[in-house]
Amino acid sequence: MKQILPENISTYGGEVDSLFFTITLFVVLAFAISIAALIIPLFRYRYKEGRKSSRVRGIGMKQMRWVFAGMLVMALCDFYMLYAEHSTWVKMEETLPEQEDFHVVITGRQWNWIFTYPGPDNKLYTADDVIVNRMNSSLHVPAGKNIIIDIKAIDVIHSVFFKNIRLKQDAIPGRTITRWFNVTKPGKYEIACAEICGVLHSKMRSYLVVQEEDEFNRFLSELYAEKQK
Amino acid sequence: MNIAHHEMSFWRRYIFSTDHKVIGFQYLITGLIMAAIGGYLAYVFRYNLAFPAESIPLFGSLGPKEYNAFITSHGAIMIFWVAMPLLLAALGNLLIPTMIGTDDMAFPTLNMLSYWFFFLSAIVLLLSFFVPSGPFDGGWTLYPPLSADAYINTEPDIWKSFMTGGTLIILALALEFVSMLMGGINFLVTTINKRAKGMTLLKMPIVVWFINFAVIDFMFSVGPIIAGAFMLLLDRVAGTGFFDAYRGGDPVLFQHMFWFFGHPEVYVLLFPSLGVIAEVISTFSRKALFGYKFIIKASLIAIVLSVVVWAHHQFIAGIDPRMATFFSIGTILISIPFAGIMLSYIATLWGGNIQLKVPMMWALGFIAIFLVGGLTGLYLGSDTFDIYVHDTSFVVAHFHYTLFPITFFGFFAAFYYWFPKFTGRMYNTVLAKIHFWFTFIFFQGFAFPIFFLGLDGQHRRINDYSAFDSLMSSWHISFRQFATISAIILILSQFIFLFNLLKSLRSGKKSEENPWKANTLEWQTTSPPPHGNFVKYPQVYRDPYDYGNPDMKEDYLPQNKVI
Amino acid sequence: MNRTITVRPGLRDIPQGRLGMWLLIAGELVIFGAAVVSYLLMRIRYPEWGEQAQYTSTALGALNTFVLLTSSFFVVKAHKASLAKDSKNVVRFLSLTLLCGLIFLIVKGIEYSTEISHGFTLRSPGLVDSGQGVASLFWMYYYLMTGLHGLHVLAGMIAIFVVMLQVRKGKYFHRVELAGMYWHMVDLIWIFLFPLLYILK
Ligand SMILES: [Cu+2]
Ligand SMILES: [Cu+2]
Repeated sequence: MKQILPENISTYGGEVDSLFFTITLFVVLAFAISIAALIIPLFRYRYKEGRKSSRVRGIGMKQMRWVFAGMLVMALCDFYMLYAEHSTWVKMEETLPEQEDFHVVITGRQWNWIFTYPGPDNKLYTADDVIVNRMNSSLHVPAGKNIIIDIKAIDVIHSVFFKNIRLKQDAIPGRTITRWFNVTKPGKYEIACAEICGVLHSKMRSYLVVQEEDEFNRFLSELYAEKQK
Repeated sequence: MNIAHHEMSFWRRYIFSTDHKVIGFQYLITGLIMAAIGGYLAYVFRYNLAFPAESIPLFGSLGPKEYNAFITSHGAIMIFWVAMPLLLAALGNLLIPTMIGTDDMAFPTLNMLSYWFFFLSAIVLLLSFFVPSGPFDGGWTLYPPLSADAYINTEPDIWKSFMTGGTLIILALALEFVSMLMGGINFLVTTINKRAKGMTLLKMPIVVWFINFAVIDFMFSVGPIIAGAFMLLLDRVAGTGFFDAYRGGDPVLFQHMFWFFGHPEVYVLLFPSLGVIAEVISTFSRKALFGYKFIIKASLIAIVLSVVVWAHHQFIAGIDPRMATFFSIGTILISIPFAGIMLSYIATLWGGNIQLKVPMMWALGFIAIFLVGGLTGLYLGSDTFDIYVHDTSFVVAHFHYTLFPITFFGFFAAFYYWFPKFTGRMYNTVLAKIHFWFTFIFFQGFAFPIFFLGLDGQHRRINDYSAFDSLMSSWHISFRQFATISAIILILSQFIFLFNLLKSLRSGKKSEENPWKANTLEWQTTSPPPHGNFVKYPQVYRDPYDYGNPDMKEDYLPQNKVI
Repeated sequence: MNRTITVRPGLRDIPQGRLGMWLLIAGELVIFGAAVVSYLLMRIRYPEWGEQAQYTSTALGALNTFVLLTSSFFVVKAHKASLAKDSKNVVRFLSLTLLCGLIFLIVKGIEYSTEISHGFTLRSPGLVDSGQGVASLFWMYYYLMTGLHGLHVLAGMIAIFVVMLQVRKGKYFHRVELAGMYWHMVDLIWIFLFPLLYILK
C-alpha cells in the first residue's frame, strides 16, 4: 500500500508529516460529524402530509447551543493546529541553524535551475564560485549537514520545490531568499519548478543528489578541476 | 406608460432593455455560454494531461504553450465570466427587485450599461483567442514579470502589445470590474431604497442580504486590483517597470494587489450561493431558517476577516515569515464563522418536514461538497503545511471543491428553484434528478483523486509529467486518467441540463404561481412576473421564514399575507 | 393590466442618486488608496526618491491646489443656486468650475512638458541607462498617480458640462449636487497627491 506523502529525507520534514496527520484527524472528525448531522434529519424528518415543522428558530443561547458547541470545537481544533505547527514554521522559515555547513545559490531562469557552489575558498559570491547552468543539472549536497540556500531568479518568478524535503520557496527577481535544510538520506531526488514560468515550465526539472561527505568532497574537487580547464 | 412598453421594439425589449429581468437573463445566458467555453477548455487540457501525446478528439494536439493558455483561460473564464455573472449579476438582477417587492432596479439605465460593459469584456477576452500570439498563458493570477512579458522589450510597440493575449485579458478584467462595480452600486442602492412597505432590513430574505454582502466585499477589495491591472497594462504597452525588479519595481507588490482582491472574490461568489442554499433549505424543510440574525452577524465577521487574510496565497512568495504567521491565524479563524453558518443550515433541517425536491438535492449536495472544500482549507491555511502543498494539485482539488459547489451547485439550486417563477414553466423532474446525481458523483470522481496526487507532490500547471519519474508511476497515471474521464462525463452530463432547459422552455407544463409554497415575495406574483413585477405592490407583515405556523391551516405564511 | 402605482418613489429617506454617488466615491477612493499605499511603501523603501521629487515644481503644484480649491468653492455655490432652482447662477458657477478644471489641466500640461524635456517620462530611458532604474520608478508612479487623477478631472469636467447643459434647459437640478460630490472627490484626491509628490522631498 502506498503512503500518502512521498518519502521524507529531511530533518524537519517529519514534523510537517505529523502536522498533516493532525490536521487530517480534525478534518475527518469535523466532516464525519457534519455529514452525519446532515444526513440523519433527511430520514428522521422526511415530509409527512399535514405535519408541521418545529418552530425552533435559533434564537438565544439555549437554541443555538449545538451551533456554538460546533464552533467551539472548530476553534479548539484551529488553535491546537496553529499551536502545533508554529514551532515548525519558525524552524523552517524564520530562523537559520546556528551552524552553517554548506552554502549554495539556486537561481531560477527560463527554464532551468542554476546552481552556484562556493569555490575552493569556501565562500560564496567570490570570483572563484562555480556556476552550473544547464538543463537537467543536479544539486549536490552532503548528507547530515546544514545546507543554506540562497534562492534567486533572473527573469520571472519560479518556485524551487524539493518534495522529499517538504520545502518549497518562490524565487523572485530582485530578491535573495535564504532557506535551509538538512537531509539525512543519500540518494537522488527530483527538484521541480512549482510556479508557472512559461512554455517549458513542465520541463524545468533538476535533481538533488545527496552524498556522503567524502563522496561529496570528491564531487567538489572534480567540479573545481573542471572549472580550471 | 403601460401601453408604450408593449409597443417597444424588439431591440429595446430584449437587447437594450432596462428591465431587470431581461438583464438578468442576459447575464445568465452569457454566463452559460462562457461556461460552455470554459468547460470545453477544461476538457481539452484534462484530456491532454491524462493521455499526453494523443490527439484530442474535437480539438487536435495541444502544445505546452496552448496548454498554459488553456488552463489560464479556463480559470479566468470560470471565475470572472461564469461565476460572477451567474451568481452575482444574474441572481442579483432577478432576485433583488422581486424579493424586496419592487418594480425594478434603482438605476435601470446604469443596469443596462453594466451588462453591456460585461458583454464587451467577454468579447475582449474571447478576442484573445484570435490574436497571433494566442490567449494569455501565464496563469490566471497574472503574476508579473511573466505577465509583463518579462521586460524583454522596454520599448514596446503600443498597437502590437495591445493585440496580445496578456493585454487583452487585463483589459477584459478591467471592463468586467467596472461592470460589476456599476451593477453592485445598483444592487446596494436598490436594496437600501426600494424595499416594499414593511420590509425592514431584518425581514429581508437571507439571499438579498448575502448578495449585498458580496457587493460590499467586492467594492472594498477591488480597488487594488484595478490599480494593479492599470500598472501592469502600462508595463506591457508603455514600457514602464512597476513590477520590474531591475528598475526597482516589485513583482510581489502585484501579488498583494491581486490577492487583496482575490481572496474576498471567493466570498463574493460564495455569499450569493450560500444565500440561495439558505432559501432552498428553509423552503423545503418547511421550517424557519435557523439562526437568521446569527448568520448575518457571522457573515459580517467573515467579511471583515476576508480582507485581512490575503497573504495566505503568498506564504512562500518571499513575504516576511513573521507576517505569514498572522495571516495564517486570520485564515484559520475564518473557519469559525463559516462553521457556524454551515451548522445553522444543518440545524434548519432538524425538526423540519423535509421535501427532497430537486432544488433541495442541489442544496444538500452543495453542503456536502463545500464541507470538504472548506475543511481542506485548513491544510492550506496552516502556513507550515502550505509550504509543501502550495502550487500542487492539492490546491487544485481544494479550490474545485469550493468553487465548483459555489458556482454550479449554488447556481443549479437557484436555477431549479426559481425556473418555474421566471419562465412560468416547470422542468422535467426526473431529468433534473439524473442531472444532479451525475454532476454530484462525477464531480467527486474528478476532484477527489487530485487531492492524493497533490499530496504526493504533483505540482500544478504542468502539461506533461514525463520529466518527473516519481510522478509517472502507474497509480499516478491511472489517477489522472480517472479524474479526466470523470471530468468528461461531468461535462457531458450538463447536456442533460441543456436538453431539459430547452425542452421545458418550449413545452414544459405551466407552473403555478407558488409551486413550492414559499413565503418570499417573488412567489406572491404571477409566474413569470409581469413587467414591473407586481400588479399591486406588496405590503410586508412578517419575516420570510414563517413556516409551520400552528395557527394557520397551511404550513406556510407569505410575507405579504393579511391575516 | 393596470398598475396601481406607476411611479414609485424611493421609500427611504436617502435620495438614491446621492447614495449611488457615495458608493461610487467609496469605490474610487479604494482604487486611489491602493496606488497611494503602494507608492508610500516604495517611497519608504527608496529614500533616494527624494532627489527625484526635487524636480517636481512645488510652485505649480501649489497653484493647482489653489485652483482646485477655488473650483470646489464654485461648485458649492452652484449647488446652493441649484437648490433655489436658479439655473442662471448654476450655469455661471459651473462654468467657473469648468474654467478652473481647464486651468488645472493646462498647468499640469506645462509641468509634464518641462518634466519630459528633462527626460523624465514614463520610462525615463536616460535614468535607466545611467543605472538609476530606481529613480525612474519614481517617475512611473508620478505619472501613474497624476495621470489617473488627471483622467478623473477630465471625467468630472465632462460630467459637470453635461449637467450644466441639462440645468440650462431647466432640468435635473439635483444632478448639480451629484456632479459636485464627484468634483469634491477629485479635489480630495489631489489634496493627498500634492504633499506626497510635490512637498515630500
Ligand atoms: Cu520555473
Ligand atoms: Cu484566499
